[in-house]
Amino acid sequence: MAPARRYWDEIEVGEEYESPGRTVTEADIVLFAGLSGDYNQLHTDAEFMKGSIFGERIAHGLLGLAIQSGLLTRAMAPYATIAFGALRWKFKAPIKIGDTIHVRARVLTKKETKVDRGLVTLERTVLNQRGEIVQQGETDLIVERRPGGADGGSRRPSA
Amino acid sequence: MTASVVERFYFEDVVLHGVLETPGITLTQAHVMLYAGLGGEPPGDPESIPDLLPLFLSTGLGWRVPQPPLAVLAFLGLEWNVIRPARVGDTIHSRSRTVVKRAMREGGVVIEEREMIDQRGETLQRGRFTFLVARREATPSIPGRGSDVVNG
Repeated sequence: MAPARRYWDEIEVGEEYESPGRTVTEADIVLFAGLSGDYNQLHTDAEFMKGSIFGERIAHGLLGLAIQSGLLTRAMAPYATIAFGALRWKFKAPIKIGDTIHVRARVLTKKETKVDRGLVTLERTVLNQRGEIVQQGETDLIVERRPGGADGGSRRPSA
Repeated sequence: MTASVVERFYFEDVVLHGVLETPGITLTQAHVMLYAGLGGEPPGDPESIPDLLPLFLSTGLGWRVPQPPLAVLAFLGLEWNVIRPARVGDTIHSRSRTVVKRAMREGGVVIEEREMIDQRGETLQRGRFTFLVARREATPSIPGRGSDVVNG
């Protein structure tokens, strides 16, 4: 059975989550290039990258973003998320093939937006196996409020 | 004879306020499933497009225009807003505009505003990308010219 989805009302500022790790492989990078169509030499040309400051291919920054998103879902009970609102993100260091990354997140703020929903801002930090920050940012999620106030209820959950 | 010349679009080639509009891509269930496997997020409604998927497709769309790829040294940051959801079957394309071009010692910073637009002309997502872009190495520095700061 899927874990219960948490309403906006139940989420507390300061809650912290820490994900398991995931090793980023060459296959991940190739798949992401295929999915996105971004074949930049940074990610796909090993010979060219030997001469770069990185010395080897690096993962697409957006691949790191996708992986942390998946990792975090494994570290927390799902929110009753209505939609993804916004993202403010910094790519601080490269992710190389063989690096193992994980994500730490914290509920930064909560804001009521409408009667039936509110905003939850998560601060997320993506770290590698050496504890170095590779990516960091904030995501705003629009989360359903508990139907009918404090009593729970059974509204149709949204995707 | 030159064996192969990889054309790249360097910092000097970037036109401030230049607009780039890409061809479209139709969103399919294959995209949804590939993304689910890659990101490791369980797919939800099979007809709905994960919120960040159009963002991930936006970078590749920029490779399908008659202009060499930007000589990106590093992708520095991103601000992104999801305005409305996309569905399987929607055809999206991107429109980008360079809003900042700032020379640095090693390359230059380029900030692009980018929108993802569907087949009805509605904006689904929009935001700003910040890149560090290489300068054309072969170009000798011009004495007295200093840094060619175009916009802060």
